[in-house]
Amino acid sequence: MGNSLRRYGIWVGIAIIGAVCWGVLALSRGETVNAAWLLFAAIASYAIAYRFYARFIQRRVLETDDSRATPAERLNNGQDFEPMDRRVLFGHHFAAIVGAGPLVGPVLAAQMGYLPGTVWIIVGVILAGAVQDMTTLFFSMRRNGKTLGQMAREEIGPVGGVAALIAVLSIMIILLAVLALVVVNALAASPWGAFSIAMTIPIALLMGVYLRFLRPGRVLEVSLIGVGLLILALVGGGWISESSAYAEAWTFGVNAIAIALIAYGFIASVLPVWVLLAPRDYLSTFMKIGTILLLAIGIAFTLPSIHMPKATEFAFNGQGPVFAGALFPFVFITIACGALSGFHSLIASGTTPKLIQKESQIRFIGYGAMLMESFVAVMAIIAATTLDPGVYFAMNANPSLLGDTVQSASQAVGGFGFSVDPQTLTQTAQNVGEDSIIGRTGGAPTLAVGMAQIFSGILGGPALQAFWYHFAIMFEALFILTTVDAGTRVGRFMIQDLVGNVVPAFRNASWLPGNLIASGLIVAGWGYFLIAGVNDPLGGINQLFPLFGIANQLLAAVALTVGTTILIKMGKLRYAWVTALPLLWDASVTLTASYQKIFSTNPSLGFFAQRAQAQQSLDTGKVNDVMAALGAQSLDDVRQVLTNTTVDGVLSILFAAMIIIVIGDAVRVWFGIIRGGTEPELSEAPHEQSRLDSEGREIEEREPVRAGS
Amino acid sequence: MTNPLRAIWEYLKEISGENAYDRYLAVHDATHPDKSPMSRGEFYRARQDEKYMNPGSRCP
Repeated sequence: MGNSLRRYGIWVGIAIIGAVCWGVLALSRGETVNAAWLLFAAIASYAIAYRFYARFIQRRVLETDDSRATPAERLNNGQDFEPMDRRVLFGHHFAAIVGAGPLVGPVLAAQMGYLPGTVWIIVGVILAGAVQDMTTLFFSMRRNGKTLGQMAREEIGPVGGVAALIAVLSIMIILLAVLALVVVNALAASPWGAFSIAMTIPIALLMGVYLRFLRPGRVLEVSLIGVGLLILALVGGGWISESSAYAEAWTFGVNAIAIALIAYGFIASVLPVWVLLAPRDYLSTFMKIGTILLLAIGIAFTLPSIHMPKATEFAFNGQGPVFAGALFPFVFITIACGALSGFHSLIASGTTPKLIQKESQIRFIGYGAMLMESFVAVMAIIAATTLDPGVYFAMNANPSLLGDTVQSASQAVGGFGFSVDPQTLTQTAQNVGEDSIIGRTGGAPTLAVGMAQIFSGILGGPALQAFWYHFAIMFEALFILTTVDAGTRVGRFMIQDLVGNVVPAFRNASWLPGNLIASGLIVAGWGYFLIAGVNDPLGGINQLFPLFGIANQLLAAVALTVGTTILIKMGKLRYAWVTALPLLWDASVTLTASYQKIFSTNPSLGFFAQRAQAQQSLDTGKVNDVMAALGAQSLDDVRQVLTNTTVDGVLSILFAAMIIIVIGDAVRVWFGIIRGGTEPELSEAPHEQSRLDSEGREIEEREPVRAGS
Repeated sequence: MTNPLRAIWEYLKEISGENAYDRYLAVHDATHPDKSPMSRGEFYRARQDEKYMNPGSRCP
């Protein structure tokens, strides 16, 4: 009695702490608010959600059963199926789901102030994102690790299956283009950044040879060497940027970097994995986890103040210079990773479920790892909002609106309703060792400035700010490039598989012509959007990021639809809201965003409204005022706008149509079952008694008392 | 008894796959003591190729 009282006392305490922190955030009237409130609001909310909501889902909704052998136990082959220690699997799963997404989205969404993004990251992960990851993990585990596409086909029908496949391919292409665009914007006109990133290629080659032939399997050793060389490359970049001759040789424009990235993506996808991909994977995983830890420590030690207002007017008028559109629905589109990311359903189905020891561990691995990712997103929003808001807007607005000089940028920022003097912009750039920070869109440079200020607060002071800035850029670019590398390969395999239905030779992954053609197709796909984005007069990130968000949330809709369908089939209709409510929310957000992107008559928002203005300008042979205000300066610019908006608009229509088709097809299945007309067919693998204890050890010669359930 | 640094080191070895070969040897000796096991190099090369033949996906 006393014990349970004490136990609940702790939770009441945590709830009160959380409520106080949320209250301070919501009611603060001052110029700044301390990041500590945000941190503790997040941690308290996560703890309560994990203890109560995730447990409810695990016990009541999914009814995990630890006496039931998992596929890892039943099909153990020592390779892809193998019971893995839950802490190790947590690490693998976390490293696979967290990427550049949770770092970029929150930074862009910070234009609306710190509160909208923070609320969505925390509430979204608890009620939607972590639920999606955990349920998908569970359903895939019960089906021997089937992929999302296979589950969609089996549980909903062929239409859902095909839609899921198209969704995955198109999200992959848009995703790779957007991520590559982030890297381009971070490295353009930055000899320091360009040099240190270029050096990662020889470093990876060296590590690859070392790992394959010299000391096979010595992963920690080679990673340590790799990280050491990376730091050297970083220091070397500093020297390069200081010598005028070398600095010039390493200064590249956006198009040169874009083309280099495309060539790199193609070569890396064609080559055997041990050459580049595998060593990069190790390097970027270590850097990723290390930097995230460092950021957490940095924020905890320095407890920086947040300078961005709680909510800016852009949240309501939709006129934000970073991306167009109002709070609803665009915050929920821009921040996908960290709150609700459809992409995770691909990892939660397929790889991770084949390694789980015990069914109940889905809560720790599925829900827990997603909470961690959400925490990374919270740290990203803290890093971005600790910057002077004027600096933030000078870095993130469409470059063609900001002009080339600190004076013009300062003036433009004034036009957005914020202020920053030219001196500050010059000084900030100097501090981080760059010529200019104006119009460095894409989120990565902003985050890097924020991180540099936080890191130099604990180590090195202002003297090391430039080093920390490039450290942050290097870490982001490194794992974005790893994603580009891996994503191109995944896309290549998908195309080989798809074409293999018609030309069987394509199925063979080591058949060179198939490899070259499929790699070429994928690279051409994302390369097209990358080049278009780099040269987009309206700002590539501004135009492409919403598409990426919509595509990602489309995938989440597929995962949540599959989940709801399975819950109904399991006879759990009364708990179906657990996935159906997030689905409803996700569908309304995605469809509203698509609707606005397609039908809005506001030319800063709607693709076809932009297109009409471009067409009008071409017809009259003169750039009209609306186009000029958006950033198009010449008729060539206008022609580009015409092409880009047509492509983007058609894609928006395609994505919206897919969402409607998948959900519509599933609703048909749901009502069939609810009315009782169709017999629900569950494709779960049959129950088999587990012979492992909760720590994964074999249970000694003890016959199971109870068979089946 | 448990040194935290040592625990971290063990965790790193486990999570990075550094000790995968030792585990393979243990399983191999237990199951087919008659056959000779793969060498360390062979094992890791086979594992690497196998892992990336089916690359799965990762998050943005």
